[in-house]
Amino acid sequence: MTSETIQEDNVVTKLFMKTLVLAAFLVALFALPAFAQIHSVDYVGYGWDSGVPGKALGDEFHFVGIADYVDPVFGVDLGTEELTFHVFGLLVVSEVDLGGTLMVTYSGGYMEIYQDGAMNADWGINPPNLTAPGTFSDGSLFFSGEFTDMTLFHFPGGGGNFEGNLNGIAGTMIDGSCTGCVYTWGGTFSTDAGAQIPEGYSLQVDGVLEIDAAVSTDEASWGSVKALYNN
Amino acid sequence: MKARILFLAIVMLTFLLPGAVMAQQFFDYFGMTLLPDTVGDSLVMYAEVRDPAPATTPLPLDFDNYEYTMVITDLELVTDGFPEVYANGTIAIYEDNGTSADYAATGTFTDGTALLVGNVSMEIYHLSHVIPTNTTGNGTGTVDWIGGTNLNDFAPGDQVGWTFVVGTNSGSGLLEPGYDEVWDGKVEPVGVIVGTDRVTWDELKSWMK
Repeated sequence: MTSETIQEDNVVTKLFMKTLVLAAFLVALFALPAFAQIHSVDYVGYGWDSGVPGKALGDEFHFVGIADYVDPVFGVDLGTEELTFHVFGLLVVSEVDLGGTLMVTYSGGYMEIYQDGAMNADWGINPPNLTAPGTFSDGSLFFSGEFTDMTLFHFPGGGGNFEGNLNGIAGTMIDGSCTGCVYTWGGTFSTDAGAQIPEGYSLQVDGVLEIDAAVSTDEASWGSVKALYNN
Repeated sequence: MKARILFLAIVMLTFLLPGAVMAQQFFDYFGMTLLPDTVGDSLVMYAEVRDPAPATTPLPLDFDNYEYTMVITDLELVTDGFPEVYANGTIAIYEDNGTSADYAATGTFTDGTALLVGNVSMEIYHLSHVIPTNTTGNGTGTVDWIGGTNLNDFAPGDQVGWTFVVGTNSGSGLLEPGYDEVWDGKVEPVGVIVGTDRVTWDELKSWMK
């Protein structure tokens, strides 16, 4: 075999490898939309403030609730076990009147979701009480997240809405930690809006948790992806 | 004297009953909405009703064997602004065990038995009117049930004046293709609805003796 033939073989081999890597990249590219899906948990519950509801800086907002839908990908059967929410540590840091709409901004705060078969969630009245948040924070930790931001808007008439982002800290839902991977939003309603609210709670909360499905994937460097195809 | 004691006993019962049935009751829904382009056009919503246990639904529903859907049609935008005012809509809750709800085939939301049919009106605050980049909003309104196979499961006084609440989001990652907003909310009676037992006046008096 001549040196020219060897060089030609090398060129062909390199071309083949580049084609293979390109093909692998394209396969990965087309596979991405599956990983870009959003999984959700739908929840309802009731909240209360440690101070005057939504009116004073430094007040802490609490919320206890239950999931009435969870994406099947998480493998939770709400017929035999419950997912319960406990939100705490959200402190009012600013309030701005936007022409009749009160914008309340919070700092800090955590959301914990527990999975248990006791099916014992009970809001009771005048929280905190014997069952709340206790029956909403028992079982195994499904998700623990730290709010990076949270804003609540109160409209005239008793309605409101909120949205916030979280970093995942722990729990079986994310199997580790993740950054900016969870977004929650929803409505809040007071008795002025006609909502039923147990005595001692200040707001009804109906929300959705949106989880970036990519949190369940493994991160890999481009080098390691290429290495997979070099073997 | 006896009559006065009987009166007091009835008054006491009246105040005691609500405490014994303080469970939360509502129809919780999650769905997709098409918004009207202009005043006079109508809003449409297709949604799935979800089991809110340990809270209960105002009607006993069999979530193990049936699917429940909620549909709003012909909800006319009467006034555009902050809030937007909507009126003259129809709301219905369907029960079926034949087809799964599919947002790409809206007929899957309106098949089955219409358990409740009513009139709905509401006000919606879209935050984009105040903060242009915000995609969320809130709506509150009223539902009067006027039909459906299960209308008479409620006493006439319990059929009207229900509360409709919703959180809205046009930027949700859950938005289905072709729709404008995700809606997540509830329809609930203002007070807890209880079952009734018929007793004769003599029976009632005998309980007090």
